[in-house]
Amino acid sequence: MPKRLNLTDISKTGEGQLTEPDVNELMPLPPPYDKFKEPGFKILTEDQRERLVSNLDGIVALALPKPKSKEEEKKYIEQFVSGLKKLLSREDNWTFLQPLLLSLDYCARCQTCSEACHIYLASGRNDLYRPTFRSEIFRRLVNRYARHKGSRFGGNDIELNWETVSRLYELAYRCNLCRRCAQACPMSIDNALITREIRKLFSQELGWAPRELHEKGTALQLEVGSPTGLRPDVVRDNVQFLDEEFSESTGIKITTPWDRKGADILVIHSAGDILSFPESVIAFTILCNAAGLSWTLSSEAPGYEGVNYGLFYDDIQLARIATRHAQIAQKLGVNKIVMGECGHEHKALMTVADRLLTGDLNIPRESAMTFLEEIVFSGKIKFDPAKNNFSVTLHDPCNIVRNLGIVEPQRRILRYLCPEFREMTPHGVDNYCCGGGGGLSVMNNVNFTDWKVLIAGRMKFKQVLEAFADRPGPEVKKYICAPCLNCKLQFREILEHYGAKEKSGIIVGGLAELIVNAMVDIKKPFIKWES
Amino acid sequence: MSGTIWQVLTFSAIFVFLVIAVYRVFTIIRMPVHLRWELAPIPHEKEKNRYGGSYLEEYEWWRTPRRRSHIAPIIYMLREIFLMRGVWKNNRPLWPFSVLLHFGVYLFVITVLLNMAYALTIMAGVPAAALDIFQDITTALALAGYLTGALGAISLILKRRLDSNYRPFTTPTMYLKLGLLAAMFISGILAWSTIPVYASATGGFAKDLLTLDGGIRAAPALAAHIIISLLFIVYLPFTDMLHFITKYFTYHAVRWNDKPVDKKMNEQLRALLDKPAGWAAPHAGQGKSWAETVAGKKDDAEKT
Repeated sequence: MPKRLNLTDISKTGEGQLTEPDVNELMPLPPPYDKFKEPGFKILTEDQRERLVSNLDGIVALALPKPKSKEEEKKYIEQFVSGLKKLLSREDNWTFLQPLLLSLDYCARCQTCSEACHIYLASGRNDLYRPTFRSEIFRRLVNRYARHKGSRFGGNDIELNWETVSRLYELAYRCNLCRRCAQACPMSIDNALITREIRKLFSQELGWAPRELHEKGTALQLEVGSPTGLRPDVVRDNVQFLDEEFSESTGIKITTPWDRKGADILVIHSAGDILSFPESVIAFTILCNAAGLSWTLSSEAPGYEGVNYGLFYDDIQLARIATRHAQIAQKLGVNKIVMGECGHEHKALMTVADRLLTGDLNIPRESAMTFLEEIVFSGKIKFDPAKNNFSVTLHDPCNIVRNLGIVEPQRRILRYLCPEFREMTPHGVDNYCCGGGGGLSVMNNVNFTDWKVLIAGRMKFKQVLEAFADRPGPEVKKYICAPCLNCKLQFREILEHYGAKEKSGIIVGGLAELIVNAMVDIKKPFIKWES
Repeated sequence: MSGTIWQVLTFSAIFVFLVIAVYRVFTIIRMPVHLRWELAPIPHEKEKNRYGGSYLEEYEWWRTPRRRSHIAPIIYMLREIFLMRGVWKNNRPLWPFSVLLHFGVYLFVITVLLNMAYALTIMAGVPAAALDIFQDITTALALAGYLTGALGAISLILKRRLDSNYRPFTTPTMYLKLGLLAAMFISGILAWSTIPVYASATGGFAKDLLTLDGGIRAAPALAAHIIISLLFIVYLPFTDMLHFITKYFTYHAVRWNDKPVDKKMNEQLRALLDKPAGWAAPHAGQGKSWAETVAGKKDDAEKT
């Protein structure tokens, strides 16, 4: 399969795929993983090929059923053109019209962005995964079918057919929306924004979105409270159970407050943390209580679930969830909302929704990073940094660091509490995405997990190994501090795939756990290496 | 070619350039306020700009006065414009070609301005002989610009044609732009090589242009250079080469736009939220206003 492609390949008719990532061409990993026998990408079954659109790269993230007739294909093409026009409309797309048009109209096609993209580099430089491949196709479709600039001389030569529509839909989910490409661009052209606009077109006009992000994501969150399916009474029960369990294991009384009207602070965790990383939620409770704060969680749906997958694909769902979060805070009468350790919650609620939450709904919103820093350095809690006697590196969640510029608070904590803290290269606002960004960490359809781990997460895994290169063996404990649920989920999959805990002694967790682990009052180690 | 046709051609080209450029800029300015989409590093963050930090790093940031640097964004932009910092940092193999082309353009613009300055000085009654050094400098800068620009344009054409990283993304229009630039610079070299005192000829032409002298004339090689340059000026605002202006908006209106909602913006946002959103998906609340859609009837939100 070729990795050198032409833009017009996107409209090649038939069911053939354009390319296929090759495990032998992927960016090499450091030892001992350079010898890792990669099982490769799962081959689709005959049944899957029969039912699902798989005409891009042999990877299926979206499980789009094949249309049953030419009429159905035609309908989707017409809807796509209608969506293109709406993206250019002041009424329908005021939310991102100016950034979109600037990015469509002033790209110099210099390919500087490609060199900044971890997916393109990790894939072995497959053209399909260039930030510009997707954007340039979309730009040409906009020019030809929405602006009616049909000149081939201007390069507007992409045919719009079913294959173009279906491939572009799948291709929109081969990007982490991390915006490293935008950061590298001398013109500040934002290919991640264009990718998100493509996703938005499909969602808001055709009603197409990954099941994990929409049906089991934002729609479920608005219906029952959380994409995890946790309903208010269940979430309270779960946390109460965790309170009891951790009270026993830590030897201190832990009580998480719920629905306290007039509390100073509403903390909104990701409910996924309750299920997958419960120590993160309990660490917050321990710290807030120890610092004597007036705070609460909300059990009103979706006030206990900070995620907002709308950020990844749909302005309407984004706005709905952000508004509900603000309404719940308003009802409780809190003075501020504190984000949990969730990157996209930070970005969605702190900045992107800032211009949606008008009037009284614009309640101050604080990052978990500054909130925890204030607690750590308040002098209200005693710490013994020697308790964190293991190597620690910090992953910078793109949505907190590159997108919000919150870089130093978490580092000041780690420098104080973790004697063996070391940085990755590059780090801070120049970091690489974990590979789970843009909603990909929760998408696990068909064989997509293989792609997420082997390609999207490859650069980050390489960075982690390099950060710990001086002490590679499993006998030395190593902790990746990733203050974001989605990043932790992605890391967990990467570490499991490579057996990195057994081979290199690497585990992943959040920031609050490290802080609690260093508390003098917590007698037993809070971080568990065995589980 | 001689006579007032030169004034007509030159001022028409400038007029077209200005009208189209202003129209396109005005179109950008008139676009509605958008949701925040900033990206670190933001240079106006005083001190924090060293590492890309923002005001959101402050505990209860809304109580902390924001400390803004007005100089840092200018320095950032100057480094970007004159040193091509982004390309240097992220795409070094392209940097020499890009720098050559851009320096060619900058020097070209500088020599045009120097010729105008020469014309105004002469019109003010200063004898031409007193401006010999000025003329020598203008000639040297013009030649340097032509040479670097021609090298940059030709090498970029070759790179786009021969390098498989660029070829699929390069349209005929892009070759046309680079070809026009190359022709402009090469014709400048030819004009310089055929005219003994080059800056006197170009400066004299500028003076005749500004004084609307009907006897204005240019030697054939210079005439060809001027016509190609005028063609380029007319063509430029229709293309993405207008990025030398619109870059201001991609940076200031989007990438560095971290402006919180104020009273005026609040009113703009309320007006936008009252407009109907016409998206057709079942969950998108067809026909309802943004505010109604978002405020959320549960049945809309549950549609998938």
